[in-house]
Amino acid sequence: MARRQAKVGATEKVVGYSILATLGVIALGLLIRQAHFNPAVTVALHGAKVQGRLQGAPGQTPAVTAALIPEVSGFTPLTPAQSFGPDNLSDKIDGKAELYLSSGFKEMSCRSFNLAAAGSAYVEVFVYDMGSAPNAFAVFSGQRRPGSPNIPLTANAYATSNALYFTRGPYYVEIVADRASGALQKSLTMYAEATLAKMPAEGKGGPGKAADLLPKEGLTSDSVRLNASDVFGLEGFNNVFTGEYTLKNGTATAFLAERATPGQARADAQRYLEFLTANGYQKIGSPDGTEGIEVLKLDDSYEIVLVQGRLLAGVHDASSLAAARELMEKLRTALKL
Amino acid sequence: MKEKSDLKEMCTGAMNRRDFLKRVGYASALGLAAGGLGLALLDSQGPAAAVGQKALTGLGDFTAKAVGAGPGKMAIVKGTDRAAMFAQGMKALGGMETFIQKGDRVVIKVNAAFASPPTLGATTNPEILAAVAKACFQAGAAQVSVTDNPINNPDSCFAISGIANAARKTGARIITPSASLFSPLSLPKGKLIENWPVMAGALTGATRVIVVSPVKDHQRAIASMTLKNLYGFLGGRRNVFHQDINGIIAELSQLLKPTLCVLDGTVSMMTNGPTGGSLADLKETGTMIISTDPVAADAVGVELLGRTLADVPYITMAEKAGAGRADYRLLKPALLNTMA
Repeated sequence: MARRQAKVGATEKVVGYSILATLGVIALGLLIRQAHFNPAVTVALHGAKVQGRLQGAPGQTPAVTAALIPEVSGFTPLTPAQSFGPDNLSDKIDGKAELYLSSGFKEMSCRSFNLAAAGSAYVEVFVYDMGSAPNAFAVFSGQRRPGSPNIPLTANAYATSNALYFTRGPYYVEIVADRASGALQKSLTMYAEATLAKMPAEGKGGPGKAADLLPKEGLTSDSVRLNASDVFGLEGFNNVFTGEYTLKNGTATAFLAERATPGQARADAQRYLEFLTANGYQKIGSPDGTEGIEVLKLDDSYEIVLVQGRLLAGVHDASSLAAARELMEKLRTALKL
Repeated sequence: MKEKSDLKEMCTGAMNRRDFLKRVGYASALGLAAGGLGLALLDSQGPAAAVGQKALTGLGDFTAKAVGAGPGKMAIVKGTDRAAMFAQGMKALGGMETFIQKGDRVVIKVNAAFASPPTLGATTNPEILAAVAKACFQAGAAQVSVTDNPINNPDSCFAISGIANAARKTGARIITPSASLFSPLSLPKGKLIENWPVMAGALTGATRVIVVSPVKDHQRAIASMTLKNLYGFLGGRRNVFHQDINGIIAELSQLLKPTLCVLDGTVSMMTNGPTGGSLADLKETGTMIISTDPVAADAVGVELLGRTLADVPYITMAEKAGAGRADYRLLKPALLNTMA
């Protein structure tokens, strides 16, 4: 049976459109209301206080990282180990937790000790499981203290006057004392070696092969960083290696990222170019007419973006056009462009 | 007749007036029912903080009467000895008696956020805390309390930072957070602090509040100084506010008007804040700022960190909210040097 096709009058149309418009207004109101989200709605006022999970309680599954904190002669434990996950890391390092969380953080355990041999120094040990070697390198390099010497503990290890920092596979370790002395450094190194003895041997996974492609000449020692998120202020521009260079014609930062597909590399490059343009940079063309290379300028700062297959690379914040070109040539040579 | 009408409708496909009105009636009834149900379920007040509890609207104005209205007072003191710098700065501001009178009950809000030794500069230095507490007692304070709400193990934070010991030595008492101290607070015009648990109980009976803070880099807020220190009054899972760190600090500037702010930039944490960890993160910046204006104090602190107001948006936001002046020079600060 054929369905009756009603003719719609002008009044009906007006009423119908009015109803649709009302629904539209309601939907818009809901969207606006949602945009002004009040976190208090989802947070219980007197919710259970979240503390780090104390290790050693009966019936409790010990945290993996807690088991990696050794007891070493001379280091008298002041507390049981405490462990934190993504949900409560900020309870321990409020204000810095996001640095770890944005880099794939899994778990952290820490424990404090008294070191009598160094004048009753207070020593705290932190072992972070970052899930992968590149993630561990990201938090290691992101907090690297400039000018601090490398130490031969692992491939990525350095010391400051009161602390040691290193990675082994997916683990990032900090051993921090409240003072500086030669005797203390020896004790901290001994503790670090005991920690490493509890960890699996270093696998093949380093920070990532893209890091090895950064040109070596002119590279400031220990300036290579893996930036996990929102690199150069661009939201979603993630997992980018950077290295700082001192060049004949000035200074500049090289960046390099490997993407899953050439399309993704091109899309990220395009997004970065649009971000620069939106922030006042002006295109000054390709340096030698090479397709796929863009040069941009804002005041005395120069940027170059280039894409090669799955690799996205470029020069950031060069102090002169000549410095930008110089570093670009080094990058092109390193990338065999 | 009806059959004829129906037949006409079937043939023409047109709807008659009665059917149309019926349908409009049904649709309107349905719409009203849905709207009515929505209204019935609407909770315009949001979730109640606690049964029988009324949300506060702020923690109070603790400005000393002697200071009065107008631009705040400020002293910027160079040196290395915190106690000497504080003493010289206070002298320039008219002495502690200008701010603390006999019988006052003083709360000192410190930064005890981490169980970190004082040498690492992540918390209020015990030397400056001791100097402030001692000066309060000497000015006639009946009671001096020291408080903060470090989320993880407050006892350890107060002990390891050296704050507990410094307080004890001067006769000040420590107020550690407990559930009974928290009350819901909704800032008028606040977008974030709405029915949020705030440690108001720590200020019960207080007549003066002094905020004593270190100067630190902050991974999220860029700088942690006086205004960021007020974050420690918040309870609950306050880390949710990190998504709008500038917004929350600007709102915190409305929480209370402190009597005095002491911003200790004798040694500043230049990198890897707010926890730091390495002595390499610290720099001797040799400056102490004492001011009645928390915004102005932080504006000086930003310079110690080698940053500008543009780098730390919450300072300008707090100024716009009326919490103080970002151009600290308008306060005509007393510039002093203990080494001179």
